[in-house]
Amino acid sequence: MRPFELTAPATVDAALATPGTFLAGGTTLVDLMKLNVLTPQHVLDINELPLRGIDTSAGLRVGALERMADIAAHPGVYPAISRALLLSASQQLRNMASIGGNLLQRTRCTYFRDVAMPCNKREPGSGCPAVNGANRMHAIFGASEHCVATHASDVAVALVALDAEIRLVSEDGERVVALRDFYRQPGDTPDVENDLRPGELITEVHVPRKDWAAHSTYVKVRDRQSYEFALCSAAVALDVQDGRIVDARVAAGGVATVPWRLPAVEESLRGKPVGLASFEEAASKAVDTAELLAGNAFKASLLKRTIVRALLELTEGGLR
Amino acid sequence: MTSRVDAPLKVTGQARYGADHNFPGMAYGYLVLSTIARGRIVAMDVTAAKSAPGVLGVYSPFDPLELHAVSTPMLGETWVPLQDDQVAYYGQAIGFVVAETFEQARDAAMLVEVSYQALPAATSMADGMATAEDAPPSRDGSPSSLEILAPGVESIDEAFAASPVVVEATYSTAPQNHAAMEPHSAVAVWGDGGVTVYSGNQGAMLQVMELAAALGVGPERVHAVNPFVGGAFGGKGRTSAPAFLAAAAARALGRPVKAALAREQVFTATAGRAATVQKLTLGADHQGTLIAMRHDSWCSTAMDRSFVEPTSHGTSREYYATQNLALSQKIVPLNLPPTTFMRAPGEAPGSFALESAIDELAVALNMDPIELRLRNNATAPVGKDLQWSSKHLDECFHVGAARFGWAQRTPQGRTDGDWLVGMGVASALFPALRFPASVEITLRADDTAVVSTGGSDPGTGLLTVLSLVGGESLDIAADRVTPRLGDSAYPPGGMSAGSTATASASTAVMIAATQVIDDLLGLASAPDAPFHGVEVSYEGGRVLGGGRSLSFGELLRALDRESLSATGSSAPGDEYTKHSFSSFGAQFCEVRVHRWTREARVSRMLGVFDAGRIINEKTARSQIAGGMIWGVSAALHEALEFEAGGRPANADLAGYLVPVNADIPDIDVHFLRYPDTLHNAVGAKGIGEIGTVGMAAAVANAVYNATGIRVRHIPITIEDLLID
Ligand SMILES: Cc1cc2nc3c(=O)[nH]c(=O)nc-3n(C[C@H](O)[C@H](O)[C@H](O)COP(=O)(O)OP(=O)(O)OC[C@H]3O[C@@H](n4cnc5c(N)ncnc54)[C@H](O)[C@@H]3O)c2cc1C
Ligand code: SF4
Repeated sequence: MRPFELTAPATVDAALATPGTFLAGGTTLVDLMKLNVLTPQHVLDINELPLRGIDTSAGLRVGALERMADIAAHPGVYPAISRALLLSASQQLRNMASIGGNLLQRTRCTYFRDVAMPCNKREPGSGCPAVNGANRMHAIFGASEHCVATHASDVAVALVALDAEIRLVSEDGERVVALRDFYRQPGDTPDVENDLRPGELITEVHVPRKDWAAHSTYVKVRDRQSYEFALCSAAVALDVQDGRIVDARVAAGGVATVPWRLPAVEESLRGKPVGLASFEEAASKAVDTAELLAGNAFKASLLKRTIVRALLELTEGGLR
Repeated sequence: MTSRVDAPLKVTGQARYGADHNFPGMAYGYLVLSTIARGRIVAMDVTAAKSAPGVLGVYSPFDPLELHAVSTPMLGETWVPLQDDQVAYYGQAIGFVVAETFEQARDAAMLVEVSYQALPAATSMADGMATAEDAPPSRDGSPSSLEILAPGVESIDEAFAASPVVVEATYSTAPQNHAAMEPHSAVAVWGDGGVTVYSGNQGAMLQVMELAAALGVGPERVHAVNPFVGGAFGGKGRTSAPAFLAAAAARALGRPVKAALAREQVFTATAGRAATVQKLTLGADHQGTLIAMRHDSWCSTAMDRSFVEPTSHGTSREYYATQNLALSQKIVPLNLPPTTFMRAPGEAPGSFALESAIDELAVALNMDPIELRLRNNATAPVGKDLQWSSKHLDECFHVGAARFGWAQRTPQGRTDGDWLVGMGVASALFPALRFPASVEITLRADDTAVVSTGGSDPGTGLLTVLSLVGGESLDIAADRVTPRLGDSAYPPGGMSAGSTATASASTAVMIAATQVIDDLLGLASAPDAPFHGVEVSYEGGRVLGGGRSLSFGELLRALDRESLSATGSSAPGDEYTKHSFSSFGAQFCEVRVHRWTREARVSRMLGVFDAGRIINEKTARSQIAGGMIWGVSAALHEALEFEAGGRPANADLAGYLVPVNADIPDIDVHFLRYPDTLHNAVGAKGIGEIGTVGMAAAVANAVYNATGIRVRHIPITIEDLLID
C-alpha cells in the first residue's frame, strides 16, 4: 500500500470539486490498495454524503451509499435483488459494502490482483495470462483476446435483468443511464470497464415497476455454500398469465465480462406455457455465442442448467 | 464434560498470541518473496526501499542477516532464508525489510526490484511422474517398496491372477496448505540473557533448538514463548521464516522486531501438503476376502526432497488382512514450496485412495461396503506378528450403521425433491504414538496446583486435559489446577505432533503427581513437621495421619513454604515390541447433489471412534469434528492450484476454499470407550488427526452412491458431476 491522503467531503458538490478516488465501504478499494493494485494518491471518503434511502413506492429507488445488508433486509425489495444481495460475500462485508461500490467492484481475476503478473486490465498492453492460464472463473461471453475476466457482482446481474438504471452526477451535471448500457466489454481496452466519467459519482439506483419484477428470483451456483463468488448465476423474472409466459427477463452472472442479458432466452420463453419443456428449450439458446476456454468449458452446460433451475424455482417446479 | 479452560480468554480477545506482543522501540519486518520458480537472483535494487520513509534495514542475499544452517535430531534440516542467491520455488523468502511501522515496511518491500536469471522449472506433478525417484527409506529404515507374499506365492502379479475379482484405479489428491487462522509470525526481543521469541509453534523446545542453531548461540540463550497458537496442524513444527528473520534483525538492529506473513505469503513461504497420485489394485474372491493388494504412491516434494507424504505405507499396510501385499512410494521433486506434515500426513490422502478402491470393490462384488470391510478385518498389520493392543473397529461399524440409518441405503441412492442423495462410509486408522515428555507439578500454599510443560495447545484442548489429568492425579478438583504450556522455561513435553500430546503428557503428569505427593508426605513427616512420627497418607488434596488431616496448602503454610514442585518424565517403553497400537474409526456421510446444477453438499456426517480413554468428551468431540470438517474440505473444496510457472493461482482465503459454516451440517461424534492401558497408564490414544482420515473417501463414496459417478480425485467439483 502506498501512502495516500484521505479527506471526507461533506457535500456532493465538494466531492465533485476534489480530484480523488471515492471510498464507500472500502471492501474493494482498500483490499486492492493493500495489494498495490490501486494506488490512489487522494482518497475521498464519501460516506458523509446524503446518498441514502430505500424507497419501494414506485419500483425501487436506492441511494448509492445504502449498504448491501440493509437493502437485502428491506421489505418490498424485489426478490431477485434481495436474493442476489444475500447470496453475496459475507454478512460482515454486506454490512460495510454499498450498492454503488458493488456495481463498480473489480474483477476477481487472480492476475489482476497480483502486481507481479502482467494484466491488460491493470497495466494496458502488458498481456493477459488468463487466456492460457487459470481461467476456470473466467468469462464465456463478451471476452476478447485482451481480457477474459468476469464481472463479479451478483446484484448487478439481478439489476440488469430488471432493467435498472443508475443516476450519475459530475461537475457537468446529472444523467441517467441504463445499467445494461453502463458496462463495457473489454475489447482492446479492458482497463475501461464502464461508462463512468472521471470524477463522476453514482448517486442512485432505480428499478422500474414492472409486472415481472416482483415475480423474480436469483440462483447462484458456487463451489461452497456461502462466501464465494458465482461460478454461474441466473436472475430470472417472469410475467405469467393463465399458465403462459407473457414476458421474461433473464440475465447471467459468473460467465461474462459484464452482467449478461440473454435476449434469445427471453424471446424463447415469451408465449410459452410454464413448464420444464419450455424452460429447457429456452435455456438451450443461452450458450449459442459462448466462447469456451480450457478451464471453463463446463460453464456452457452449467449455465443452461442454472437457468432451468432458476425458472423451476420461480414457478415452484413448473408443471411438476 | 469440561469446557475448554482457555475459551473465555479466546472468545473475549484476551488471549495474547505471538504477534500480539508489543515492546517499546519495536520495529516491523515485511518479507519479500521470489516471483520465479527456479533460478538465481542476479541483483536486487534496494535503493528506493532503503530511502523510503521509516526504513531501518533492507536485507537480501547480497546483504544478509547472520543466520546459520539448522539441523536438529527431531526435524532434520530446516531451511533458513537469505543465505544464498538460489530460488527453488515461487514465493520463497528472498528479502526482509524492517521499518518503524508495519505500513512503512510493507510499502518499502514493494519497492524492491529483483533481477533474476530464470531457469526452466519443474512444476507439474503429471510431467514429473515419468522421472519419479524412489522415496528414501523411512525413519525405521524400511525401504520405499515392500512385498509381502503368502507362502508359495511367487509374485504379487501371480496373486492377482489367482483373484477372481480385481479392481484397479488411479486416484489423485490436490496440494493443500494448512491455512491456519494465525499466519506465521514472531516478535523477537534481545536482552542480557539472550533472545526471547514470541511465536506460535508446536513445541517450545523445537523452536529453541532451531533458533539457537540459526543464531549461533547456545540453547540456554533462547527463550521461546507461545502460550496460544492460532492453529498449527503440522505447519508450525519448524521455525518459520519470519521467526528466523525477526530474531536475526532484532539482533542486528538492537531493537525488538515483529514480523508476520501476509495471508497470501502463507501459501508459499511456509510449507504445505504434497500432491499425491496413487494406483490401487485389489484382488478378492467372490465372498469378498482380499487375496492381494497393491498400492503404488507418488507424492510431490520440494527440490530439497525434505519430506515424503507416505500414502501407501501409512494406510495399506494396516487396514486389511490381505494375504499378499505390495507397496511402493515414489517422490516427484518439483520447484514448488516445500511440503511438510499436515494433519494425518500420508493417512488422509492415502485413505482417500484406499477407501475409494474398497468401495469400488464392494460395487464390483455387489456387496455392502461395511460387510466387505468387516470380512477383511485385520488383527495385526500385514506381515507383522504384533497384534493390536485394543481394536474395536467392527463395533465402530455396527454402532455407526445403527446410528446413521445405514440400513436405509440402497446401492442406487435416492432422490429428495431436486436433490440426489447418497450415503458413503470409510474406515479410519491412525497410529497411537507417544513421545518422551516431562511435566512439572507445583503444589502451592493457596491449595492450588500448577501443571506445566513446554508443548503447545494450538486449539487441541491440551490445556484442559492437563488440568483434568492433573486434578485426577492429585485427587483434587480440576479447577484448582492451573495448566501452563508454551514456554521453553517449562520442562520439554506435550509437543503438538502426531496426535501424541495427551498420551505423552498425561502419563508424565501422573508420574509427576506421584512424585510430588511422595515429596509432600516426606515433608509432612519430617522432624519438626506437623505429622512427625505418624504414618501419613494422601487423599483428596489432604495429608492424613494420626487421626487428623491438613490440606497440602495448610501443610505448606505450616512449614512456611510457598510451594513444592516435582518433575515427572515418561517415554515410550518396550510396549512397541509387544503390540501394535492404533486408533480406529468408522466414518459415515450423506451427500446431496443437485439434480440440475450439481453442487455436492454434505447433509449428515457421523464418526464413531475407538480411540482409547476419552479424557474430556467436549474438547475431544471438537477435535474430531474439526478433523471431519477438514475431510469435507479436502473432498469438496481445498486445492492449492499451482500454475505452470509455479505460482499459486488462488493464494488467499477467497480463492483457497475451505468450508464455511453453511457447508457443514450437524456433526455426530460417538466414542467407544475402551481405555488402552497397554499403550500408556492413562489409557488415552490420539484423536487429533484420525477425524480427518476417512472423511474424504466417505464423501466420494457417497457422491458415487448419489450419482453413479466415481470421481477419483479430490477435491470433487461441480464440473466432475456434470454429464450432458
Ligand atoms: C472476500 C470478498 C467476497 C466478496 N464476495 C462477493 C460476492 O459473492 N458477490 C458480490 O457481488 N460481491 C462480492 N464481493 C464484493 C463486494 O460486494 C464489493 O467489494 C462491495 O460491494 C464494494 O462496495 P464498497 O462500498 O465497499 O466499495 P468501495 O470499495 O468503497 O468502492 C469500490 C469502487 O467504487 C468506487 N465507488 C464507490 N462508491 C461510489 C459512488 N457512489 N460513485 C462512484 N464511485 C464509487 C470507488 O472509488 C472504488 O473504485 C466480495 C468482496 C470480498 C472482499
Ligand atoms: S483476464 Fe483481464 S483481468 Fe485477468 S489477466 Fe487477463 S486482462 Fe487481466
